[in-house]
Parts: sequence; C-alpha cells; structure tokens
Amino acid sequence: MEGSSGKSILQFAPFQSSVDEGFWHRLSSLKLNKFGIDDSPIPITGFYAPCSHSQVSNHLTLLAESLPSDSSEESEVPEISRGNRNRCSVPGILYNTNTVERFHGLDKQGLLKAEAQKIWEDIHNGRALEDSSVLSRFLLISFADLKKWSFHYWFAFPALVLDPPATLVDLRPASQCFSLEEAESLSAAFNEWRNSSLTADVPFFLVQIDTNSHATIKHLKDWETCQSADGHKLLFGFYDPCHLPNNPGWPLRNFLALICSRWDIKSVHFLCYRENRGFADLGLSLVGEALITVPQGWRDHPYVPNAVGWELNKGRKIPRGISLAKSMDPTRLAISAA
Amino acid sequence: MVLSQKLHEAFKGTVEKITGPRTVSAFKEKGVLSVTEFVTAGDNLVSKCPTWSWESGEPSKRKPYLPPEKQYLITRNVPCLRRAASIEEEYEAAGMEVLLDNEDNDGWLATHGKPKDRSCEEENLPSIESLEISKNKAVKLAPSHVGGEDEDDIPDMADYEEADNIEIDPGTYIIAHEPEDDNILRTRTYDVSITYDKYYQTPRVWLTGYDESRMLLQAELVLEDVSQDHARKTVTIEDHPHLPGKHASVHPCRHGAVMKKIIDVLMSRGVEPEVDKYLFLFLKFVASVIPTIEYDYTMDFDLGSSSS
Repeated sequence: MEGSSGKSILQFAPFQSSVDEGFWHRLSSLKLNKFGIDDSPIPITGFYAPCSHSQVSNHLTLLAESLPSDSSEESEVPEISRGNRNRCSVPGILYNTNTVERFHGLDKQGLLKAEAQKIWEDIHNGRALEDSSVLSRFLLISFADLKKWSFHYWFAFPALVLDPPATLVDLRPASQCFSLEEAESLSAAFNEWRNSSLTADVPFFLVQIDTNSHATIKHLKDWETCQSADGHKLLFGFYDPCHLPNNPGWPLRNFLALICSRWDIKSVHFLCYRENRGFADLGLSLVGEALITVPQGWRDHPYVPNAVGWELNKGRKIPRGISLAKSMDPTRLAISAA
Repeated sequence: MVLSQKLHEAFKGTVEKITGPRTVSAFKEKGVLSVTEFVTAGDNLVSKCPTWSWESGEPSKRKPYLPPEKQYLITRNVPCLRRAASIEEEYEAAGMEVLLDNEDNDGWLATHGKPKDRSCEEENLPSIESLEISKNKAVKLAPSHVGGEDEDDIPDMADYEEADNIEIDPGTYIIAHEPEDDNILRTRTYDVSITYDKYYQTPRVWLTGYDESRMLLQAELVLEDVSQDHARKTVTIEDHPHLPGKHASVHPCRHGAVMKKIIDVLMSRGVEPEVDKYLFLFLKFVASVIPTIEYDYTMDFDLGSSSS
C-alpha cells in the first residue's frame, strides 16, 4: 500500500497493554495494608514511548510506580520523574473490585463513556493543549484474588468515534515526503525534542516546516502563532507506539477529535513519529492526510461522542488473567527455597 | 534451586553485607568495576543508546551504595524474533566465541551444575524437533503462569464473553490476526536489565520475557532464548535484586575474567580501553549468550581492530 492514494476509511492499530509483575505485587500490598474493602477508583499512571523497533509495537505499560506508594513514609525521590523519554506518563484510573462477580458485573460501556467524557471535556476546556497526555487517558478494571494470587483484568483505551469516520487520502513513509534538507532539519529537531527533559515525554505536538526547509517542533498551545507565518507545512505529530507500515496507532484517534473540534480543520496532515534504536527514523515514521467531516452534534457542548476502546484478548472480547502464585504464594516460595 | 547454589547465595549475601563496595578502580587489572565506574558507564550507555534508562526500583530494595535514581538500567520491549538454538551455528563461526573461549576453554564453565543435571540437559538440547516441541509447550503449558483455558486458579474467561456489552467499531479498528499456524514462530519481547553485582564487582544482566500478547513468560521458557551452551549453566533463574519474581540471569562469576580478556585484546591492539565504554563491551559479549534478543549497544562500536 506504499504511497496509496484514493479514499479509504482510516483504520487504527489498537493500543496494547503490558503489566509488569511489580504492579500486581504493589496492588496486592496496597489492598491488604491500605485499601482493605474500599473499592473506590484509584488514579494510576501508565507509561508509553514511541515505537522503537521496526518489528514490534510499544505498549502501554504499568509498573509498580503506576500505583501510589505503599509505604507510609515519603521517599525522597519522586517516584514518577517527568522527562524520561522511555516513560511518557498517561493518566489512568483503576477499578479494582472485591469479588469476581462485581468484576464481571461492572457496567463496562458506562465506565468507558465516563472516561471518554473526561477526554472530551479536556479537549473543550483547553487542558489537552497544556498537557496532551490526557488525550490518551485509559481505564483498567481488575479483580485481585489474593487467596489464589491470581488477577483478572481488562484495559480500555477510550477513543472518541468520528461519525462519519475519517477517510485516508494518503499515507506513506515520512522519508518520502520531505526534501533531503527538510528531512535533515526535521530529524535534528526531533532528536532535540526527545533529548530535552522538558519535552521528551510530550506525546502530541506540531511540526512546522518553513519555506527555507527549516523544521521546528512546537507545543499544541502554540497553534495560533503557527498560523501567522505563511508558506510552510504544518503537520500534527504524535508519538506512535505502533510499528505497522500502513496504519497509524491508537493515540491519533483522540488527536483527530481535538483537531477537528478545536480548530475545525477538515484536511489533516499528520505525522506518526517512530524511532529506531532511540533516534528519529523517518523511514518508519508515517506522514498521512486524512479528511474529517465534523460529526453532527459536536458543536453542542453537553453532547459526548460515542467511544470505543476495550482491549481484545487474542481477538476476543474477554478479560485477561494472570496467576502469580509462583512468586507470591508463601508455601510455594518455601518449597522452592528448600 | 540446587543446594550448593543456595549456600553460595547465602555466603555471597553475608560477604556483601560486611564488605564495603569497591572504590578503587581495577578495571584494567581485573576487568571489574567500582560503583562509581558502573554509574559512569551506565550514564554513557543511556546517552548513546537512549532506549536504555536508569530506574530507581522498589524503595525497599534500593542499594545504599548506588544513587537512588540510578539503581539499575533497563531497556523494555526488545524483540526476539527467533529462538536461540536456530542460530547457534552462525555464532560458532562468528569469531566472538573464539575471543571469549580461549584454548583452555575456561571462558565459560558450569557454575552450579552437577554432572547428573548435565546429562538430562543434553537430552533437551537443540535439534529443530525439540525446539518445535518446546514451542508448543510455550503455547500449551503457559497457563501455569498465565491465565488460560485449563488453569484451576483462573475461571475460564470464555464463560464471560459478553458480545453485547462492549462495542469495538470494526470499521476503524485493526483487528490483529494472530497466526493460527503453530509453525510460525511468534515474536517474543524482553525487558533486559543490568544491575551492579557488589560481590563480583561487575554488571549483571537479567531477562524478563513476554509472549506475543505481552503476557509474562515463565523463566524456564526464557532459557529457549539463551545460547544452549549457557542455558542452566551460566544462565540461571534467580530473584532479581530490584524486581519481584524469578528472572533469568547471566551469572556474573566469570564476567570479570572475560572482561579482562577483552580488555587485554584491546590493549594488545594498541587501543586504550576507557571505563565509560565498559557496558558496550560487556553487552557485546552478553550478545553471545543471548544472540536473538536485539537490544541496543551501539552497533558501530569498534573492538579496536582498525584503530591501531
């Protein structure tokens, strides 16, 4: 599909989850020592990074640090340091139920809708321009069976649905879309953006290329000022966790929703930023053009668009499960230590 | 765990408690690193290969002799496209082995294996057929660690399939098509971490494996991605100093000696080894143990052959 043209529906590769063993260990300890039977939702932090190998996508990863600290004394090191290029923070929420029945009884569509509404509001109140990570907000429901050390869980990555869907005019490797001079300047600008602790974990941005081939990366909130200059290209860029050559990754969905509802742009030039070995790779990165028709009702504020995003488990609509008895069960640990 | 290994761990733990960390450099003489040299080499790795980063880990497991925000190094989601046994032969001829395993053949020795263990090892070793079987094991036996159809602890989730409850909008979703054919090797991914081993005064490499849907791989299955010469001998399954659970690790007992040999080779070629490049050399040698895990260590790093 190289350099394909002609209209087709823009399809996105879903975000995938990855949970570190440390996350479940800390959740168990919090459940036993702090939360007890309190099952109110817990704010958590997920981490992701742009795709960095041509054969595998990156995931939204949960680590022990995704949860609040389980020790009572405050540690002197802040647990989540901003500016780590391999850990762009994404806000999420965890509903951990006390029983397996409650887990299966959760109103999944309702919970997803509630998170989608937060994203929608942040688009409208401008918060998404200040802190773009809120566009990738996620949801996790779980049941931690602490008697058997097994965990049932299900992720959702809420995406506002454009109706009618965006159509794709063009999508090709970024290396085919720029002159040699532009490409050099762009790679340098990206590497600078990714190496500065102020911007390394800012996942959505603007890419401006001046008539003299000079490229700059800008924050979303600088969109207005980009409009004053003329004779340049303006692209909407984001850290793309996906590695597929013909599809952008999931974060573009809510970005398109922001672009069309805030700036009323109908033809969107986007850039899926990807890396190889930690450096900008314009051969893996994609540049595309999508046409959006502003969906009906999007102008009325109380309206909230439909949302999708529950993660599939091997193509099926079922939760995932993991048993950590091997590393948590004291009797098994005693046997293996004997 | 083998008893001798247990005893050794206990001994090592006691020695670590009562001895201070190395502060004087013995990099060229012994191939070992002081704590500050480890941090310097780690900083250099992070700056040259930015997929690596420092982690602070669990506060309760922090080592007081390392800076709190630089406890260990990690690179996540590293692809492993083939099982190690399938490329064993390529590596035999690659030269790196020659550099490490000299004529005394003491480059690598079984650390804690007993002759009896060895003989049952041999039976499991690398023919393609046995690899096929172990791959099926990866799919079928995984439930003992990962939720699956026939694990008692985990109710069959298929019972709860709720097609009407959630919406997925197939028009704009790419549904990944998992290969049905078991002959297709699925991509595993690894988190590779490097800790400082205070007893051996060298870095130590740890592997956490994931299957194609990013579910934790049993440490036993990780051994398929280790050069078969080293599986269960120099690569053992132990507790990670900073992370929960059992992880495969390249045992560091010979690291100092191997690094010393590499440094000697460099010096004989007129290259003055710099301590901040230690981890590049180290990771290059670790690549002979885990040849199919494609982590970054600056491919163009020169062992010194052309710069003399």
